[in-house]
Amino acid sequence: MEGVTSPTGDSERGAANGPHPALHLRSVSKTFAGTPALSAFDLTILPGEIHALVGENGSGKSTIIKILAGYHRPDPGGEVLVSGERLVWGSAESSAALGCRFVHQDLGLVDSSSILDNLFFGGGFTCRFGMVMDRATTAAARDLLAQVGLDVDPRRLVATLSPAQRTAVAVARALKDTTRSGAVKLMVFDEPTATLPDNEVHQLLATIRAVAARGTGVLYVTHRLDEIFTLATNVTVLRDGKKVATVPVASIDRPKLVRLLVGSEFDDAHAESVAAHTEHGQPILEVEGLTAPRIDGISFTARPGDIIGIAGITGSGRETLLGTIFGAHARTGGHVTMNGVAVRSARPAQAMRSGMAYLPPDRKISGGVMTLTARENISLSGVRMFWRAPWLRRRMERNEVWSWFERLEIRPHRVDADLASFSGGNQQKILFAKWLRLGPKLFLLDEPTQGVDVGAKAQLHHQLLEAAANETTVILSSSDVDELVAICHRVLVLRNGRIVADLSKGDITAARISSESLGVGAPTRDREVAVS
Amino acid sequence: MSARRRSINLGFDRFSGLYLWALFILVFSIWTPSLFLTSATLHSVASQEAIAAMLGIAVLIPLVAGAYDLSVGSVINLSTVMVVILQTQNHWNMWMAMLVAVGVSIVVGAFNGFVVVKLRVNSFIATLGMATVVTAVQEIVSGQNQPLPPVSHAWNALTQTKVLGFQIVVVYLLVLAIIAWWVLEHTPVGRYLYAVGGNVEAARLSGVDVDRWTWLSMIASGTIAGIAGVFYASLTGPSLTFGGSLLLPAFAAAFLGSTQLKPGRFNVWGSMIAIYVLATGVKGLQLITGVQWLNDMFNGVALVGAVAFAVWRQRVAGNKSASGERVEAPPEAVDPGVTGAAPVPVAAPSGHGSGTGSDPTSV
Repeated sequence: MEGVTSPTGDSERGAANGPHPALHLRSVSKTFAGTPALSAFDLTILPGEIHALVGENGSGKSTIIKILAGYHRPDPGGEVLVSGERLVWGSAESSAALGCRFVHQDLGLVDSSSILDNLFFGGGFTCRFGMVMDRATTAAARDLLAQVGLDVDPRRLVATLSPAQRTAVAVARALKDTTRSGAVKLMVFDEPTATLPDNEVHQLLATIRAVAARGTGVLYVTHRLDEIFTLATNVTVLRDGKKVATVPVASIDRPKLVRLLVGSEFDDAHAESVAAHTEHGQPILEVEGLTAPRIDGISFTARPGDIIGIAGITGSGRETLLGTIFGAHARTGGHVTMNGVAVRSARPAQAMRSGMAYLPPDRKISGGVMTLTARENISLSGVRMFWRAPWLRRRMERNEVWSWFERLEIRPHRVDADLASFSGGNQQKILFAKWLRLGPKLFLLDEPTQGVDVGAKAQLHHQLLEAAANETTVILSSSDVDELVAICHRVLVLRNGRIVADLSKGDITAARISSESLGVGAPTRDREVAVS
Repeated sequence: MSARRRSINLGFDRFSGLYLWALFILVFSIWTPSLFLTSATLHSVASQEAIAAMLGIAVLIPLVAGAYDLSVGSVINLSTVMVVILQTQNHWNMWMAMLVAVGVSIVVGAFNGFVVVKLRVNSFIATLGMATVVTAVQEIVSGQNQPLPPVSHAWNALTQTKVLGFQIVVVYLLVLAIIAWWVLEHTPVGRYLYAVGGNVEAARLSGVDVDRWTWLSMIASGTIAGIAGVFYASLTGPSLTFGGSLLLPAFAAAFLGSTQLKPGRFNVWGSMIAIYVLATGVKGLQLITGVQWLNDMFNGVALVGAVAFAVWRQRVAGNKSASGERVEAPPEAVDPGVTGAAPVPVAAPSGHGSGTGSDPTSV
């Protein structure tokens, strides 16, 4: 394998005159065990340009990032030029030396240390006689932080920073060794906002703009489409390892972008279903005076066929409300009544018997059993129905699981593969199937589409709409405001553990939800303008 | 690089134990056919290892549910001593003595379950402590004198009756293994146990009664250890200390077994293969060299080796899933056990209900 790849960067140095693009990929391909992950991919990013890269899970985004980082060697044939100089394939050193920097979701910061220490752990403390010179180093740190638009005391502990501020520190750290390797030419952000609370996203976007303003090319990988419209100049869409299009953001709108992404007409039927929905029937769920840590007296009712959204910033009670109703967390007071029957605190099994289903927020931690197969995960909540003494009827079980694989288009078609081997979107579909199979009367979902690609997200939404059409009550709590706007009949906005707004129909807009979440009169995020 | 690794794993991953077994038999048969290649060797290995294999099943069940039971070594000791003393000193009927010995073992298992489930003590710590307490009880019962074996034909016949040349204890093991396999693989209870062992919280939120199944798994291990103790007393006579020496082989079998047949999962037949492959290797080498330390050496190396191998495989699987978004893309070329990124059980028993939530291996 050694030596197949390209010669070193020095011999291939481009012409010294004339501006080079920050990044230029020409016909880059990568094949894993005979399966192409990326085919003849071209990309050009100019200095100072913010270029968004979008695609569903498995479309080849991370392959591109890993090629740029020198982790993967691409197939022979193409080339990658960073500011005119050729990247040595499969060499992380070359990638760093040419001025490529990467900011991942996992920032790699030490929480218990100061910003200062985090910035200079890798070396670069100003020293004299073996002692760190605090004043000089602090000044350097301030300067670095200013470059990313962060005005905080560098002596603060990283643990005390907000998530967006931490990302900014990671960016500052990446910019730090400018002096050693020349300017940073390319900064790659790999879904930096995926785990960020809604109200902090704009801070991070400001940081990214600051980076681009220095003349650094930015490659921005994201699942959140609205960010593309506020941030990027151009967007490249990937599907199945191939480039579908590179278009200027100004010339495209959201529906067009979604169509490019999924490759077919996006299912917009839900808009009609939302419009057609009328509240009727007796309440199936009654929550009265519910209290728990961070939940301070919440009461509401839900009727069959309702799709209710729970909105609120992190810490508002949004994250634990549904889990508390179901019994994943204990409650300290209040009543939950399901179909006229009292549901006890912290008794998931009893809640299930009363007709509830609950999809926890984190697949790996509490949602799925990663070591069991997809089939075992799907049947776990109701495995008894396949029991005909003395055997569990595997064929019966497998057939049912198959039908759910078909219905939710779960890929690959291997019902006996471990849950861990599926992509995020497919794992979530599997866990949906686990609950939908039981035909719940009330389906509670925490962050049902977090880390799920656009295509899978549309499908999961479709399933929820279908369930609601069959008189299942759906309550979903989500930090993705667009999701709530897209499918909910009614949205409850939480602040400080209380319901501060009960929005329905025409009142459900991203702007309204955001402003209610933050408190009356608080500024909404600037993205609203661009999205609509 | 990854393609090469895959092609190797296709054949040797799940069935490496069977290949190794065949290799042992082949090598020793050629080396010393007169000693090794006899039906006597077959029969003696089969019954010598039957008790250790039973103990392997005993520790396996809590491991499936994510809990360690380190007390089985002491429980088997206590059961052996009790069943003998009740007969020889108290002149009890053999069946009554057996019933009481097994009953006491069930109580120990239930108490283990209580400490783990209700007091929320890490199972590793809870059963380590229980092991010591049970040893003390055994000393009280026996007065630290090894009792004489009961003299009765029925007592010896209990395990030593010949069936097709094998001592009947081998049949008992087979029956026990079939029951354990049936429960773990073919009943809802097995599903619940695996789910609890795989992810306690996900299991609870799926309506699985985590506490009940954890508790029952501890009771099951105590019960099986008690039964194994009775059989041991009948098969080889009373001993005060043999149990401790069976504990490590039992865990070695369970962990080695988790690399076999269904890689990444504790499973009964994998453990049975593991224990008999090791025994065959030890037996062959003992016949050739005549040294006695081989058993300990083999079991210790096998346990550490199995765990190291499992961790390595986990890392390989992890790298593979980190090496691109398309891990699952080439389905037919890949052994599911390898790409599955399945956390090997080695790391899995995180001590359900532990107060500190610490990994037992780091205790």
